[in-house]
Amino acid sequence: MKKLLFLGVCMMALASCQTQQTLYSWYDSEDATYTYTKRGTEETLAKAMVQYEKVLKSQKGLRKAVPPGVNAEYGYLLCKAGKKEEGLALLRAEMKTYPESEAFISRIIKQLEK
Amino acid sequence: MKKYMFFGLMMLLISSCAQKELITRDAQYPKMYEERPLTIAVMPPINQTNHVEAKDYFYTTLYTPLCEKGYYVYSPMMTMEMFQAESAYDAEMFLEGDLSQFRNVLGADAAMFTIIKSWNRNKVGGSLTAGVEYILRSTKTGETLYHREGLISLDTSVNSNNGGLLGALVDLAATAITTSATDKVEAGRRCTRFVLSDMPEGKYGLNYDKDQKMAAGSSYVQAVVR
Repeated sequence: MKKLLFLGVCMMALASCQTQQTLYSWYDSEDATYTYTKRGTEETLAKAMVQYEKVLKSQKGLRKAVPPGVNAEYGYLLCKAGKKEEGLALLRAEMKTYPESEAFISRIIKQLEK
Repeated sequence: MKKYMFFGLMMLLISSCAQKELITRDAQYPKMYEERPLTIAVMPPINQTNHVEAKDYFYTTLYTPLCEKGYYVYSPMMTMEMFQAESAYDAEMFLEGDLSQFRNVLGADAAMFTIIKSWNRNKVGGSLTAGVEYILRSTKTGETLYHREGLISLDTSVNSNNGGLLGALVDLAATAITTSATDKVEAGRRCTRFVLSDMPEGKYGLNYDKDQKMAAGSSYVQAVVR
């Protein structure tokens, strides 16, 4: 009886400990991007870029792929910061990874190339 | 004593097994499976509260939970600039209107609208209660594909396990600080994640095209999320 009770309690404890794995690793990119869009300072931009680098290079999520929009966001910010070639390459990478983004991203690329 | 414990355990098991009538996702959201949207544009939230900041806090919090559901979501940071330029920052205009321009300009299959109905925070207690309605509309047919509303209380309090009265006071002060700034963004994100938990998964989700018979929640949900 005691054994059964113990087993039951263990099962419940294990079930409550289960964590849900995510499709993507986001690190602190969401908060960093939010802070940058609110403040728009050089410092917050630098912090956001560090997080983008992490998201691009260390994907531990279930898909092992860069999340939708991250290549594009980072590329867009790099273009705005003067690193146009690097930025455009990332915007093109977004279209390659997610062909469904083409209509929007090609529009952005055209605007940036002007 | 043993008998009581056994009885208690049985009661727990029985109560956890008791279910309301199960609604499957394909029955609750049939149009999601008919249209199978892949790309979603997040519309700026419609704020019906007096808290001006709620719109800002909420806008960016929709992006990652929708990506995690397996959809391609346009970066809100990039679309926001476009919406502002095209005078589309007030989503009210599009809530029941024609969405074809979002299909033509962005390539979006669907647009996610949110209506913030209530936003109350209790600084000392560390809780934030948000009432939000989520509406996903097709840009092709204009039909509502997904609709759910939640009244979610989010516990944002800090519990450091500091002992005694002094510890409790320290926690109380920390709680008052954390309910401001990015903590509210995290609260909004958790609210979205909770309400959208029964949304059918998109192309990149692990359960894409396999979740038709999974349970859907009720169209109005009230919960406390930690």
